Amino acid sequence: MTMIFGVPLAVLSGQLLIGVINGAFYALLSLGLAVIFGLLKIINFAHGAMYMLGAMATVILFDALGVNYWVALFLAPLLVGVFGMLVEYFLLRRIAGQDHIYSLLLTFGIALLVQGVLTNLYGVSGLRYAMPDMFKGGINLGFMFLPYYRAWVIGVALLVCFGTWFMIEKTKLGAYLRAGTEDAQLMQGFGVNVPLLVSLTYGFGVMLAAFAGVLAAPIYSVTPVMGSHILIVVFAVVVIGGMGSIGGAIITGVLMGVIEGLTKTFYPPASSAVIFLVMVVVLMVRPTGLFGKEA
Amino acid sequence: MTHASNREYEQLRISGLHAFYGESHILHGIDLVVHRGELVTLLGRNGAGRSTTLKAIMNMVGRRTGSIMVNGEETMACAPHHIARLGVGYCPEHRGIFSSLNVQENLTLPPVVRSGGMSLEEIYTMFPNLYERRFSQGTKLSGGEQQMLAMARILRTGANMLLLDEITEGLAPVIVEKLGDVLVALKNKGLTIVLVEQNFHFAAPLADRHYVVEHGQIVEEIRADELSAKQSVLDSYLGV
Amino acid sequence: MTMMKKLLTSAVASALMVGGAQADISDNTIKIGYLADMSGTYRDLAGPNGLAALNMAVEDFGGKVNGAKIEVVSADDRNSPDVASSTVRRWLENDDVDLVAGLVASSVSIAVSDILEENDKLGIVSGSAASSITNEHCTPNHIHYVYDTYPLANGTASAVVKEGGKSWFILTADYAFGHALESDVTRVVEANGGEVIGTLRHPFPTPDFSSFILQAQASGADVVALANAGADTTNAINTASEFGITQSGQTLAALLLFLTDVHALGVEAAQGIQLTTGWYWDMNDETRAWSDRFMEKTGVRPTMVHAGIYSSTLQYLKAVEATGSDDAQTVRKHMMETPINDMFAKNGRIRADGRMVHDMYLAEVKTPAESKSEWDLYKILRTIPADEAYRPLSESKCPLVSSK
Repeated sequence: MTMIFGVPLAVLSGQLLIGVINGAFYALLSLGLAVIFGLLKIINFAHGAMYMLGAMATVILFDALGVNYWVALFLAPLLVGVFGMLVEYFLLRRIAGQDHIYSLLLTFGIALLVQGVLTNLYGVSGLRYAMPDMFKGGINLGFMFLPYYRAWVIGVALLVCFGTWFMIEKTKLGAYLRAGTEDAQLMQGFGVNVPLLVSLTYGFGVMLAAFAGVLAAPIYSVTPVMGSHILIVVFAVVVIGGMGSIGGAIITGVLMGVIEGLTKTFYPPASSAVIFLVMVVVLMVRPTGLFGKEA
Repeated sequence: MTHASNREYEQLRISGLHAFYGESHILHGIDLVVHRGELVTLLGRNGAGRSTTLKAIMNMVGRRTGSIMVNGEETMACAPHHIARLGVGYCPEHRGIFSSLNVQENLTLPPVVRSGGMSLEEIYTMFPNLYERRFSQGTKLSGGEQQMLAMARILRTGANMLLLDEITEGLAPVIVEKLGDVLVALKNKGLTIVLVEQNFHFAAPLADRHYVVEHGQIVEEIRADELSAKQSVLDSYLGV
Repeated sequence: MTMMKKLLTSAVASALMVGGAQADISDNTIKIGYLADMSGTYRDLAGPNGLAALNMAVEDFGGKVNGAKIEVVSADDRNSPDVASSTVRRWLENDDVDLVAGLVASSVSIAVSDILEENDKLGIVSGSAASSITNEHCTPNHIHYVYDTYPLANGTASAVVKEGGKSWFILTADYAFGHALESDVTRVVEANGGEVIGTLRHPFPTPDFSSFILQAQASGADVVALANAGADTTNAINTASEFGITQSGQTLAALLLFLTDVHALGVEAAQGIQLTTGWYWDMNDETRAWSDRFMEKTGVRPTMVHAGIYSSTLQYLKAVEATGSDDAQTVRKHMMETPINDMFAKNGRIRADGRMVHDMYLAEVKTPAESKSEWDLYKILRTIPADEAYRPLSESKCPLVSSK
């Protein structure tokens, strides 16, 4: 059997694929963060909570109303998106243009509040969510057993990432967003309803997070604290990719998933630290991030 | 409808306008009127408050008091995007070309606010350079081309009052001349233009009237036909 | 040795007190401080519902013991030894708290032990797993109730090896508790003729286990053991089920699993998993009756920790009642001398090292067909007698034992 650094090639291929799957989650989440940072110039510490809300909503909608996975895939992000827009309208808007630290503290506070309320209501052990029947089982790829659901996750997550990239880079609405990222005031001076654009953007960004949450519901433990763990990693991904870079967020997300996956194979105890190590190195060599524009 | 018949129509009336950036008080009671179809300049030294006046019209400064009427409508309570929809096109001093957009995207970015704007073909006829470089990144253009783009951008929207801030700044004489031709053409189309200009020799032959701004106030109003008579007064204000 | 000195002085003091047979409850109040993770990872296994269990014991006493009022205060330690230390210091030094109960995260319990000893007050640890609490970290000022890593490894690992699971792959949470459990399991596996062919230390917490499960799968071991807790364990079990670990012929052994974890997983994903528990709500009429009472107050079935908090508080109050004292050493001595017989334990006893030893149970998670209701989750396979379950005193490193 071919070995690479003492690891069989077959095992390594499996780990690479797993890395890409996890990377797809990172990509979805960091994409939303990057979109929000671009236009609102805020560091959305509530992003993890929105991811969690997406997953919790999926479970709660199913338990209370029998809403199935496919409907939840649209409905949960929509609900969370509306919630996000309300948050933007009633809270974030009031501190627009202030120092970053205010929005950071405010969104962090919102995250703690949402997390606390749900912890009181649902506990922390996790809510049960059954895998949709059509995804049960998997396929033997020869080098690994790939559960159907993971294959679906990688496909749909990358599709949504690509769709978002296309929308932002190639459409009129995306042009508004890109221009607003550079000079929102001038955009408004041209007659674009920037406050509405800001609300929609925040709503869209958290929708992406909630979408990732729905994807996570059948495979990860759904708890009110699930978002706080992943949030910090995703921030590191955004920093590595370069704040506000859309394509950069996607590519970096997948890349970091793979690097983390390889670390899990060669030296597991370092796997939660490796992304931060990469972040430190990138910040030293290229402070604007891999895909960030030179200031 | 000829523009001559609208000369009495007040497109813009500003009275007692004060504006503040944080603690600093920039405008100290501006009063001015611009009629439809007129080309009016705001002259003055750097820091006199000319650019701030344009921004104040767009509701882009910190705090304002007083009154700004556009087409007879009070706009002090309006958000910037509502002001734009009254037919006001603003071209900022730094040109505001978006680097993440190509030339054509820059050009088609501002929403159409009124009918009667120029079509993309008309614009490309007026500025053939922009057509040639329509897929280039906006900020890769030369300074003159960027200025053309910044102007062309608001012509497409149908805005009938243009606020132009220092459009000739730092440009080669041949480009400045071209811009002069463009302004004449726009004036002939009946557009109202408020021009903040450092280059008096560029502005003098184009304008119907001049306002001299100093320390955030209008200190002098000079009609085109009074120019030669008041040249010395003007020189003293502009420090020429 | 300050501990020896303290032991001597307290022994003298308690002798005097008992000799005087004088009721001496300071301020005529028994104040119990309940310290636990009220909002984080360990919230559900103890947390607010543990406080409810504690209050049930107080209720049983009618809120008074020997005429002295029983007061309960509580705080969230947020799993931080620092927060826990400052809270307990304030309780003991300013608020006249007599007993610190709850105590979940092992690091918290170890940090709090020092402060209890400094102030010569009593603590009852109900939630922690580390067996080192009554070994390296033993003090005359606490009692460790419910369970620890020693019987967890003993019960589950020996049972699985005996069933033919000879080669083991251990997924270990990379911190003190996981390491302790890993070494306990390795010892038990090897003692029973099995072999550990691989261990993998994963960061705490780990949201995605797919990579580790894949490695465990590739190892070809008979048994994949989980030396972790809480969300890490449930995540690992979910992922193992998704990747078909059991279908490929491997056995999954979770070493620390609480009822709330199994409830969260559901019998579909958790069926067949063997685990060791100190108590289960559906064992007999007595446990069921108490659990019904608990459920009325909290809406859920109690974990072994909830039951242990109730039982230990009850035993503590009985000791206060019998001795008429709230002095830590007097009460602890009485508790050590009195066998525990309540709905939690039969013939439980507290040893010199502070370890409460009682029968433990090897349980298996029911299949969906067997499980008749939401909380009908375990079937008890075997009772592990107290003496077999816990670390024998002969192996103890606790100075309290040798000085006996």
